[in-house]
Amino acid sequence: MDKKGSDVTVSVFFCRQLDPNQDVTRRALEKELGKRIRFFPLPCSGRIDALHLLRALEAGADKVYVVTCPEGACHYREGNIRAKKRIAYAQSLIEEIGIERGRLELVVTSAGKRLTIDELTRELLGRDDKGAKA
Amino acid sequence: MITGERKPISEIKEMIAPYRKVLVVGCGSCVAECAAGGEKEVGLLSSALRMDAKAAGQEREVREMTLDRQCVYEFIDQLTDVVGQYDIVLSLACGAGVQAVAEVFPNINIVPALNTTFLGETKEAGLWLENCRGCGDCKLGFFAAVCPITRCAKGLFNGPCGGSRTDCCEVDSEVPCAWQLIVSRLEATGRLDLLRKVHPPADWSKQQGRGPRKIIREDQRT
Amino acid sequence: MITESRLKKVLQKGHFAVTAECGPPKGADPEVVKSKGKILREHADSINVTDNQTGVVRLSSLAACALLKAEGLDPVLQMVVRDRNRIALQSDVLGASALGIRNILCLSGDHQCFGNQPQAKGVFDIDSVQLIQTVRRMRDAGEVIGGEKLSSSPDMFIGAVANPFADPFRYRAARLATKVEAGAEFIQTQCIFNLKRFREWMSLVKELGMADKVYILGGITPLKSVRMAEYMAKNVAGMDIPRELIDRMKAVPAKEQKQEGIKIAVETTQALKEMAGVHGVHIMAIEWEDAVPQIVEEAKLFPRPQV
Repeated sequence: MDKKGSDVTVSVFFCRQLDPNQDVTRRALEKELGKRIRFFPLPCSGRIDALHLLRALEAGADKVYVVTCPEGACHYREGNIRAKKRIAYAQSLIEEIGIERGRLELVVTSAGKRLTIDELTRELLGRDDKGAKA
Repeated sequence: MITGERKPISEIKEMIAPYRKVLVVGCGSCVAECAAGGEKEVGLLSSALRMDAKAAGQEREVREMTLDRQCVYEFIDQLTDVVGQYDIVLSLACGAGVQAVAEVFPNINIVPALNTTFLGETKEAGLWLENCRGCGDCKLGFFAAVCPITRCAKGLFNGPCGGSRTDCCEVDSEVPCAWQLIVSRLEATGRLDLLRKVHPPADWSKQQGRGPRKIIREDQRT
Repeated sequence: MITESRLKKVLQKGHFAVTAECGPPKGADPEVVKSKGKILREHADSINVTDNQTGVVRLSSLAACALLKAEGLDPVLQMVVRDRNRIALQSDVLGASALGIRNILCLSGDHQCFGNQPQAKGVFDIDSVQLIQTVRRMRDAGEVIGGEKLSSSPDMFIGAVANPFADPFRYRAARLATKVEAGAEFIQTQCIFNLKRFREWMSLVKELGMADKVYILGGITPLKSVRMAEYMAKNVAGMDIPRELIDRMKAVPAKEQKQEGIKIAVETTQALKEMAGVHGVHIMAIEWEDAVPQIVEEAKLFPRPQV
């Protein structure tokens, strides 16, 4: 992407189980970035559908993250596994129209650290700012 | 259900290339069941086509609609006031639906977004298996409800052939030998006697017809 | 020109029959067929000609049989149901008979996906058992499928294949019974490497009362190398090659493996000669027709009887 970090529009789909306080913690970033960020809390990452991802891109997101619980730790057992497959499907679909699969990114949180959605997102955006890819 | 799979987007793009206003019409029946042409798939395809047009700097309007069943005129009629506003209809129905719409609106452009494949069952989420070839002369009762025409790669009525190995078809090791299944099931239910006689040649005219087949029921007609 | 089946005569007279397979070329040269016929002439009673084996386009079995017939040989027309509908099949039976061909082997055929025409439509209008029944009816009742009478009946000695080594094993003998009921008069089996299993199958066949209702010829294929043995064991459906045989081939240096393969073939043939209910041997020396005379001679089946 040739957009600078500060110009990037981002959508973050994430599992609510990761941050029970997400309703509060995400407000700061929403205030800072305004229209350049949209959060979509999900009861489980397994609820993500390829359609949501396409719509998010169509709505103008440069980058769409799907943040899931660590492998093996899904509250609903295989939700995060399903999310992975659906993201892969959406990626192959957008590739057919010439959009890089990297525009959709699966983020699997690690079992150790417990970050708030705010800390998590800042980390992700920090990566974007430096232009580094996952 | 009838199953189908979405054509590659490159092929779809080529079909709609000359047109600016596209009406994408899905079907809520079979193709929705096999995740190829239902409302969701209409959304996915339409988003993709709109983004593609935007990226190429093209003007394209893509509208989304889904009919309960695209092969029944009662539902197709719902398109009446809409269809004239578009240059082309991109149908996500099976071949039956695409053609039915064309019968109702013979003067529109309509193209298929799917490759219609087979009649089958949903074995598990995401897995559809062919199990019927519409031969018009169902003999499932003789074969323990395993269709030899569909599920035996050689369509044998007096199988198995010499190629089955460890319960699998010689053609595809992931496909069970239909005859293995038939024999096991008949054995388990004490009906091996059904295999004693030589099963005679099929009447393929029931499947081929003289051109396209039809069914007429006067009691159902107005 | 002989117009009787030599194979039938040999079997009816109680001799241990020898048939061999001839694969037609992937080309139009009749000399290839004739020269194979020459190699096999004195060492086989009859010569099978395969029918587009493995779905690979070859010179047609019917034409090759006609060429062999013209050389004074007794061909066995192999006819698969994969490529032709009932009209063509019945027509070819009449044609074959008119050309003096007196033996027919009815089989399904390998699926078209294996050959060089994987996009071809597999016909399978009738299956191999229905074909046996059809030829039998053409010959004995003088009629085609549907009952219409022929102006003259074909004369054919009717054969079918059996694979004692495919699954489901317990059903394989019953399958033979179905073919015999449909009208098969002789059987050629898939190549035998596992004699123990073959004996088991033969006892099942006897139990069903089939042993005296049909002539069974055991199939033999000489192994060329240990690689061939391993390939066949792994990739060819319905093939059973015991570990001991593969090890036996392995234990021999590469340039002696061909001879070891022939030795095994001879031993198997001799075992078949001793087996009650086995009336002959069918040697399928794929692209190695030269091996047949040696096998026949070493198994003490040469010269072939005068009938």
